[in-house]
Amino acid sequence: MASNLPPKPTLEHSTTTSGGLAHEHHERPRGMLRWLLTTNHKEIGTLYLIFSLTMFFIGGIFALVVRAELFQPGLQLVQPEFFNQMTTMHGLIMVFGAVMPAFVGLANWMVPLQVGAPDMALPRLNNFSFWLLPVAFTLLLSTLLMPGGGPNFGWTFYAPLSTTYAPPSTTFFILSLHMAGISSILGAINIIATILNLRAPGMRLMDMPLFVWTWLITAFLLIAVMPILAGVITMMLMDINFGTSFFNAAGGGDPVLFQHLFWFFGHPEVYIMILPAFGIVSAIIPTFARKPLFGYASMVYATASIAILSFLVWAHHMFVVGLPLVAELFFMFTTMLIAVPTGVKVFNWIATLFQGSITFETAMLFALAFVVLFSIGGFSGLMLAIAPADFQYHDTYFVVAHFHYVLVPGAIFAIMAGVYYWLPKWTGHYPDERLGRWHFWMSVIGVNLTFFPMHFSGLAGMPRRIPDYALQFADFNMVSSVGALMFGVSQLLFVWGVIKCVRGGEKAPAKAWEGAEDLEWSVPSPAPLHTFDTPPDFKPVTH
Amino acid sequence: MWEVIKSVLAAFFGVQKERQRQHDFQHGKPGAFIAVGIVMAAVLVMLVAAVAIMAAR
Amino acid sequence: MRKTLAWIMGAGSFLGLASSTLANGWNMPAGVTDVSREIYSLHMTIFWICVVIGIVVFGVMFYSLFRYRRSRGAKSANFHENTSVEVVWTAVPLLILVGMALPATATLKRMYDASEADLDVMVTGQQWRWHYEYLGENVSFTSSLSTPRSQINGEEEKGENYLLDVDQPLVLPVGRKVRFLMTSDDVIHSWWVPDLAVKQDSIPGFVNENWVRIEEPGIYRGQCAELCGKDHAFMPVVVRALEGDEFDSWLAERRKEAEAEASGVDREWSMDELMERGEQVYGAICATCHQPDGSGAEPTFPALAGNEALLNDRDRHIDVVLNGVSGTPMAAFRSNLNPVELAAVITYERNAWGNESGDVVQPSEIQALLEQ
Ligand code: HEM
Ligand SMILES: [Cu+2]
Repeated sequence: MASNLPPKPTLEHSTTTSGGLAHEHHERPRGMLRWLLTTNHKEIGTLYLIFSLTMFFIGGIFALVVRAELFQPGLQLVQPEFFNQMTTMHGLIMVFGAVMPAFVGLANWMVPLQVGAPDMALPRLNNFSFWLLPVAFTLLLSTLLMPGGGPNFGWTFYAPLSTTYAPPSTTFFILSLHMAGISSILGAINIIATILNLRAPGMRLMDMPLFVWTWLITAFLLIAVMPILAGVITMMLMDINFGTSFFNAAGGGDPVLFQHLFWFFGHPEVYIMILPAFGIVSAIIPTFARKPLFGYASMVYATASIAILSFLVWAHHMFVVGLPLVAELFFMFTTMLIAVPTGVKVFNWIATLFQGSITFETAMLFALAFVVLFSIGGFSGLMLAIAPADFQYHDTYFVVAHFHYVLVPGAIFAIMAGVYYWLPKWTGHYPDERLGRWHFWMSVIGVNLTFFPMHFSGLAGMPRRIPDYALQFADFNMVSSVGALMFGVSQLLFVWGVIKCVRGGEKAPAKAWEGAEDLEWSVPSPAPLHTFDTPPDFKPVTH
Repeated sequence: MWEVIKSVLAAFFGVQKERQRQHDFQHGKPGAFIAVGIVMAAVLVMLVAAVAIMAAR
Repeated sequence: MRKTLAWIMGAGSFLGLASSTLANGWNMPAGVTDVSREIYSLHMTIFWICVVIGIVVFGVMFYSLFRYRRSRGAKSANFHENTSVEVVWTAVPLLILVGMALPATATLKRMYDASEADLDVMVTGQQWRWHYEYLGENVSFTSSLSTPRSQINGEEEKGENYLLDVDQPLVLPVGRKVRFLMTSDDVIHSWWVPDLAVKQDSIPGFVNENWVRIEEPGIYRGQCAELCGKDHAFMPVVVRALEGDEFDSWLAERRKEAEAEASGVDREWSMDELMERGEQVYGAICATCHQPDGSGAEPTFPALAGNEALLNDRDRHIDVVLNGVSGTPMAAFRSNLNPVELAAVITYERNAWGNESGDVVQPSEIQALLEQ
């Protein structure tokens, strides 16, 4: 495939339609202050992305500590206390520090460009939402150095392990999660305000690119569920510090209530981490198949269905806590239902490829791998939905395999695809294809080596979140650990590729990809600091 | 009204003809669609609950 | 592209080969009960459904990727809608799922029917061991990991049932319906034996039900499935299934032992006797947190060796062990240990590792306190 990439569009046939007037309105602060005080959506987007990448590496190092300990049976490198802190911090950092901020960063950059808005609707709020994050996560990471260590109760922090039995640093963990939550809610409000108020004249909701659509729906999900997370951690705070007994059975409290509250937040949360990915993939596949997205309206409807259903399935995480039979059945049925719109999305992407004219740029490679590997995660999701079988799957490595398939080659591959896709717009240069392909193939192989064997070890009976295991799981774990190292190292290629692209490379025209249609491709590459100061002239493409 | 219900059902199922959609978006009132959508979501929940209760017997 | 295909097929046949040579331990066990076999067949059915859907969907996808490459001169068509196709591919999965939901519902209903049990066993999760009580039989004991630390730390070769062995397995009869009542004294645990297809959370303040009817005698091993703190990996479950009459005589034997132990409460115990018994109890129950040498792990688990406050207040020491300290991981042991064990372990803690209080706590004294 390598040598068969199409010629890049030439510079001249891409005149800009509007925007791109890089005039400065006022004196701008320089150096550090510039970044601290910026209210520009592109700069804030960049900050989010850099932050997310940093967290991705920190969370990745924690994961490698875990995988190193699990390389062989027995305790070699770390003690169980520290191991539990590593698994917990890995999960928290990846979910709240890497995946979510990456999507917010992409939204910051691309939503205004895709709807033809000059900036986000609430620029100062935007600055505040970002700067909450470094504070929150510095605090969270610092708990590792406190007496008794950091959070050690899993990213799902089930009470009473996370309350009565938690290390003293838990109060700091709660504070940092509160800050991250506020940041998410403010970010979501901003995105909704931008999409609903600042669209180019003539752009109706059903004309919006799918990335914008999926983010609109995600933002509503965020506003709906982040307060529930805030509520449940506040109840923990009270149990720990003020003698209440929300979750303390000895005081008449209810530990299962914690799980209901957590998963009522948690299940929509997992969709928060995948819907924007659907949007990105729905932009990339049509571009490189040179064919409009198949079933635009069904894609929007499926996204909405998923969002609604995601509030009705939470207890599928609790099939073995002893729910009444009726509840088990209800949640089994709704969970099976949610698999349908998820499947429809995959079918639509494939129908888009069918009879296209396909090329395999790095962005496309990642998007295609997303379709395949995300589907594998969907299949294991379907298996987990069968409540009686979940009695065997639950809390084993099979679940670990499931959610890593939907999150790593799912959400994270989509983010990387998005980065490769939009880098020409951000930097004015094409990313290095050769480096990109190396990064892609190493990542794909690494991811599958890491997570595929986990299906087997889980089915064979290995519980999750253990620092040491019985001898029959040794081979699977060794393969997983090798794969994880490979995946981790190959992400250095990603960083290298991005840096290289920022510093130079083949010049990209405004419309960097031949098949790309959306508004962002009408402004020059790199996009000047201020775009669409006057609204563009939007002509709906027939979807 | 029946038109609106039909369109909302189509949206729940996730498939609709482009022509019908254009029609809805040009002539329909968004309020009606939203109201029907909320009612239908509630109906869906009750339906699944009813099936679960019956199955559990 | 052709090369890629060859690669994929090569990898596939390698996996196939590997799985046939390593056959065991790649899949869910079918287990030794009716329910476990039903679950296994549900699992295999949904698995094959996924495989078939996967082959069709990925087949079309890879065909398209191959056939409609730009480098092969493909020109793109411009269709982007086809209502009937969309209806079909939404309806078909829906129907498949309905087909799957029917048997799953039936199995679930069987799993939830714990009525008419022949034997009730109370299973209590504790950080980090299991306590079993045969209800109405006056038999109860604690079951904890018996794999030596030296194996875990790699100072000694790892044994055959590494991490899956306990000092006293749960003994159950074959062919009878055994009902489990699950609860916990501290955090949430989950009692799981794959071959029995029983996994149930044990939750403080709740009593969950589950049941099993084992069909073959044998030893079945599992582990705690819910993260429960530091030694979550080190609280295995071992079930020994015996034929009915063997089970009955085992139970009678245990009942006699319990009676003998109960009579020990009334007699005067010597310091040496208490120290010996106390060391056993301490090693099985207390050492995971307070450490074998009593040094604890600050700030969560206080040291007992050289703990002046404790040594100067004998009554408080007894109170803490009997009733726990609320708001901390220290559990109440009054109902998990018998008076002899309680007296012995308190005596041991007050006289071991250089603690030289010289105090002796008699079982009769504890018995009096428990009866208050
Ligand atoms: C076809 C759609 C899906 C179905 C039917 C499904 C089903 C399930 C079920 C039943 C569980 C609980 C398993 C257990 O704990 O025993 C689960 C866990 C999980 N799923 Fe999915 N899932 C689907 C898609 C997704 C997606 C798209 C994501 C996120 C991007 C996701 C993320 C997760 C996570 C993070 C967990 C585990 C959380 C934890 O316990 O730590 N799933 N899924
Ligand atoms: Cu879920």
